[in-house]
Amino acid sequence: MATPILQMQNICKTLSGKEILRSVSLDINRGELKVLIGPSGAGKSTFLQCINYLLTPEHGQIVLEGNIVDTASKKELYSYRQQVGMIFQDFNLFDHLTALDNVAIALRKVKGMSKKEALDIAHKELDRVGLSDKGNLYPAELSGGQKQRVAIARALAMEPKVLLLDEPTSALDPELVGEVLSVIRDLAKEGLTMIMATHQMDFARALADEIVFMQQGEIIERGSPASLLKEGSGTRTADFCNKLSDMCEEID
Amino acid sequence: MLEQLAVVLDALPYILQGALVTLGIVGGAMSLGLVMGIPMAVGLVYGPRFVRFILGIYVWFFRGVPILTLMFLFYFGIFDLLGLNLSALSATAIVLGMTSAAYQSQIFRGSIEALPQGQLKASRALGMSDMQGVCSIILPQALRLSIPGWSNEFSIILKDSALAYVVGAMDMFTRTHFVASRTYEHLTLFITAGAIYFIITMVGVKLLLTLEKKVRIPGYTT
Amino acid sequence: MLRTTRVLMLALGLVLMFGTGAFAEKTYINGIDANYPPFAYVDKNGEPAGFDVDSLNWIAKKLGFKVVHKPMEWSTIVQSVLSNKIDMVYSGMSITPERAAKVNFSDPYYTVASVYAAKKGSGLTVDKIQHDKVRLGVQSGTPQVEWLKEHMGKENWNFTLKFYDSAPLAFQDVMNGRIQAVAMDAAPVNDAIGRGLPLAVIDTFGDHDDFGVAINKDNAELLELINKGIKMLKADPYWEVLKEKHLKGNDH
Ligand SMILES: Nc1ncnc2c1ncn2[C@@H]1O[C@H](COP(=O)(O)OP(=O)(O)OP(=O)(O)O)[C@@H](O)[C@H]1O
Ligand SMILES: [Mg+2]
Repeated sequence: MATPILQMQNICKTLSGKEILRSVSLDINRGELKVLIGPSGAGKSTFLQCINYLLTPEHGQIVLEGNIVDTASKKELYSYRQQVGMIFQDFNLFDHLTALDNVAIALRKVKGMSKKEALDIAHKELDRVGLSDKGNLYPAELSGGQKQRVAIARALAMEPKVLLLDEPTSALDPELVGEVLSVIRDLAKEGLTMIMATHQMDFARALADEIVFMQQGEIIERGSPASLLKEGSGTRTADFCNKLSDMCEEID
Repeated sequence: MLEQLAVVLDALPYILQGALVTLGIVGGAMSLGLVMGIPMAVGLVYGPRFVRFILGIYVWFFRGVPILTLMFLFYFGIFDLLGLNLSALSATAIVLGMTSAAYQSQIFRGSIEALPQGQLKASRALGMSDMQGVCSIILPQALRLSIPGWSNEFSIILKDSALAYVVGAMDMFTRTHFVASRTYEHLTLFITAGAIYFIITMVGVKLLLTLEKKVRIPGYTT
Repeated sequence: MLRTTRVLMLALGLVLMFGTGAFAEKTYINGIDANYPPFAYVDKNGEPAGFDVDSLNWIAKKLGFKVVHKPMEWSTIVQSVLSNKIDMVYSGMSITPERAAKVNFSDPYYTVASVYAAKKGSGLTVDKIQHDKVRLGVQSGTPQVEWLKEHMGKENWNFTLKFYDSAPLAFQDVMNGRIQAVAMDAAPVNDAIGRGLPLAVIDTFGDHDDFGVAINKDNAELLELINKGIKMLKADPYWEVLKEKHLKGNDH
């Protein structure tokens, strides 16, 4: 079997004296989509941020395509982050830049492209997420769904080998969730390697290669959607999902 | 009445030359304050503890000590010790500039902290260095937010520039006083000078307001 | 070869030393209080003028040096001499023990009386000024202030002192009634009267006041030069011309 594209090994993270991640390990193969689920406070966001070193773990290492990432070298760190993209729950678009420039800026600053080259790519990426006509609008002029799609285009422009998504639809009005999920679905079909934290169980069930259930900083269960979510399987994951859908019904 | 008008008209070229000196002082001080204040603000927000400590002391010192004392301290003390033979005008501009740097660093710091910090995270996630993130993502937005505070600072420095007289810089206020001493038309002359200060303030604030509108981010409200 | 160059250089050095010494005039900077007519002020063209300015210009011409008159803040002018920002103060400076402790003074070149003055027709007398609750204007940092402070305590005088940066400012407040009288050098009072201000001298008081030129204690050479110049000026008919021009017979 080929080596996994990305391996997280024994990641430990403490925040304000509190142990948030307790030796979490996870491998992902090229083209896979892994879905992280778990109750609020389980450590999903912390884990995803450790994966591209927005947070520095106290212990553990990360291996990209067989090479251990050496975070002591800034150069290697920056180059690693280019290869592992990140999508945030609240978009984090650059407010002073148009959609096009949001996508283009890292190409220019990080990859050293000319303005024209960068904008060409930005056009293509916006087109890919269905926003070719919104390029000249500023973040404040876009809907939440459009913002998240710009953020995805921005990450894709760097041609990442792995894309991390931290609840990309949680901050969206329900009617806007679909447009973002459909973009992610396309990416999965194109074979982009992704790790995604989400509460969208239907999406996970349909597309995930593996579901990873986290609780209190540990991976409790993992497996294919079919095996974990099967009626009456008695897994914690199934239990959690039932509670989740009950809650949704109550709200409705 | 006519006599007073004659005195004012007579003195106007001399006083207006002083207005140029005043503008020179204000321009120099604002620029120095800007050039120093921006990196100071970045250091105050993102710097390591000891950098924040040093900058904190700087800000505390320049905000706490009266400008008059600072002028004496630098003009008759520190500049001399350093062997700098500065003109009264440059000395005033530098002292006001260093003071303004303390205030401007606080204006910029406030603006930086008012920004959603996720944007810096996003820039890091794209492989930008912190330097690149701060320079091309944080500062362009923080500076926009700082314009109102900056125009405030402008009118304050403009008035402080009248303190130039203590080291003998021939600014507008000093010159007005000289003419008044000769002509005994204090009230008329100082009203004239006040009007000129007022016009300079108005034009400056108006220009900054235009700038603020010009660089406004479409759709953006805070 | 080496020898000739040396000789040449020596010759060049000598020419430079004596040549420039003989032709270049030394320039001295004189700090003036341009708010102190008739001794020093700026004229309509913004140029320094006054009794002291004319005096020093005459001396400079006679003794072959150049002089630049620099208007300065009065309260720090001695400090400016001490830090060599100016070479001297030839500008109506009273010789006081406090000042003499810091700088050298030339021989006195002019003596003025201290006077009380009030608005014309005010009916004030010295007795009223000293015993009624009069508001009395003085110029900060002048010997009159010291004298008045010393005596008002001893002799139970009832006036309150109001401090001004310049004599003309104090006259303004006499005019608009904020203070009833002033106590200062006779010269600026007479100058103001000469320019049509409705002021009247009530009487003299205190000690006579000697004006001298303040010079850095390290600069004995300049002191000698100025003393020589003052002596020459007072012996010259131009002295009377100057007094007539600036002081209008106000000689003590
Ligand atoms: N800066 C911090 N300091 C201290 N504790 C923190 C910090 N950031 C997060 N935590 C804690 O770490 C735990 C894990 O947080 P994390 O955001 O990773 O959870 P999550 O699984 O993403 O939850 P959610 O579903 O609500 O997003 C939480 O208990 C949270 O309170
Ligand atoms: Mg989270």
